[in-house]
Amino acid sequence: MGDKTLDIENVYTAYDKADVLEGVSLSVRPGRITCLLGSNGVGKTTLIRSILGLTAPREGRITFGGRDITGMSTHRVIATGIACIPEGRKVFPKLTVTENLRIGAYQVKAEAAIRERMNEAYEIFPRLAERRSQLAGTLSGGEQAMLSIGRGLMSSPDLLLIDEPSLGLSPLFVKENFNVIQRINERGVTVFLVEQNVRQTLAISHYGYVLGKGRVVAEGEPDTLTDNEEVNQAYFG
Amino acid sequence: MDAALLSQYVVNGLMQGMMYALVAVGFTLFFGVLNVIQFSHGDVLMVGSFVGYSAIMGVIAVGIDNPYIALAAALIAAVTLVGLLGAVIARLFVLPLRSSPPLNTLLITLMLGTVLRESVRLFFPHGSHPKRFPPLLPTDSIAIGGFDLRVDSVMLLIAGLLVIVAIHLVINRTRLGLAIRAVAQDEETAMTMGINFRFVVLVTFVIGSAVAAFAGIMNGLYYNEINFNSGLLLGVIGFAAAIVGGLGSIYGAILGGFLFAALQTVGAVAMPFDSAYKDVFAFTVVIALMAWRPTGLIAERVSERV
Repeated sequence: MGDKTLDIENVYTAYDKADVLEGVSLSVRPGRITCLLGSNGVGKTTLIRSILGLTAPREGRITFGGRDITGMSTHRVIATGIACIPEGRKVFPKLTVTENLRIGAYQVKAEAAIRERMNEAYEIFPRLAERRSQLAGTLSGGEQAMLSIGRGLMSSPDLLLIDEPSLGLSPLFVKENFNVIQRINERGVTVFLVEQNVRQTLAISHYGYVLGKGRVVAEGEPDTLTDNEEVNQAYFG
Repeated sequence: MDAALLSQYVVNGLMQGMMYALVAVGFTLFFGVLNVIQFSHGDVLMVGSFVGYSAIMGVIAVGIDNPYIALAAALIAAVTLVGLLGAVIARLFVLPLRSSPPLNTLLITLMLGTVLRESVRLFFPHGSHPKRFPPLLPTDSIAIGGFDLRVDSVMLLIAGLLVIVAIHLVINRTRLGLAIRAVAQDEETAMTMGINFRFVVLVTFVIGSAVAAFAGIMNGLYYNEINFNSGLLLGVIGFAAAIVGGLGSIYGAILGGFLFAALQTVGAVAMPFDSAYKDVFAFTVVIALMAWRPTGLIAERVSERV
């Protein structure tokens, strides 16, 4: 389980020529929930993309457990023990629930391990078990969110990147979702949670960063962040 | 029309439909994983038939006259070399153009098709002449009821059917097939799940091209003749079949292939005009079908691929 630290040092990432990230540094400690808060368009998803190698940083260094993963191809990054629950859930609509879970364990070779984790996923989300041979595109938004989380756990990752899990979900379901994230973390998975929803995110996080216009503008324990001037400014200013 | 003639038309239509379906499956696979049209696909098929032909000539030249050994050599050589050719095309001409407009890929593969065609014409010994493809399968007939079925035709149809079943199993029952379907639906999320995107694309091109090579050998065995420019029309028909079936859907491609052959047969047999117009008739109906169902017969309601 998670004993590796994700370190992001002075990362600059650009689309075409415009920098979206301008020297981001942060660190995700093993065994904890670290969150990254920030409003729309400040570069939260870009940071996730940089970590995953989907958009390589043009400067800076990203290491995971001491290993340099900067600009590595995505499947290699995943092989180091990272998994992602992408923004907007991104389940494969024309694959069944079971196949979606299988894809989450794509790099796992042992069939026994795949089956065991699949059963675990169905235990956490019994609704998915009922719909296991249904196409994911026919699930409700909430069920797709469950599937996306279950899929993210299938590789038994050391570090789970979660991008805006509350996006587009009903308040009731958001709450349940955050509970699940907390439970996942309690089982030893390191979580890097990217969110806009300040209060609920800080309620479950151990440490937080605030991103504003491509830079980290504040960091600290959840309670210090709640009263932080910069945070309030970043959101309400 | 008597039963014997009718059975001949049916077998001929099925055979052509099988070949078109095999070509169309390639178009649809490539479009699925990369959103591109690989327009040299028909010429890749032609290269397959020439590789097979060369292997047969080689086997005969060393004095082996067992037709099944010659056939096995032709199949192995064509499927491997043309599979490799497909991977090279993907690696050198298709993947590097991924971030440019799709029109560029279409143009570059169209030109590549010309290069393949002209290379065979210029560099293959007497490449501009049609080559006699030796009949390696038994040519005797079996009479069933009033029908006369040729053994070689039956064998070719069964072999084609087996290839289609194999493709179906690979796509739906294997880890690789799961990866191909995932990439077709959402390339980036597939990568995020740990799928090696470039590898999946290369393997898909190997599969599609190897299937075309198989169709090329089938073509040679059935008509007993191969020609450097035979790929062009087969490519266009295969492409039309893939489009009319619904580009991106394998079963649509297969359906489209048999549909096109059926139209050609109807055009040749049941229409009041000369049978030379069968292609004109078939393409006209295809155009009408496209106007009626622009996304193909097996429609993409969501963005379904593969």
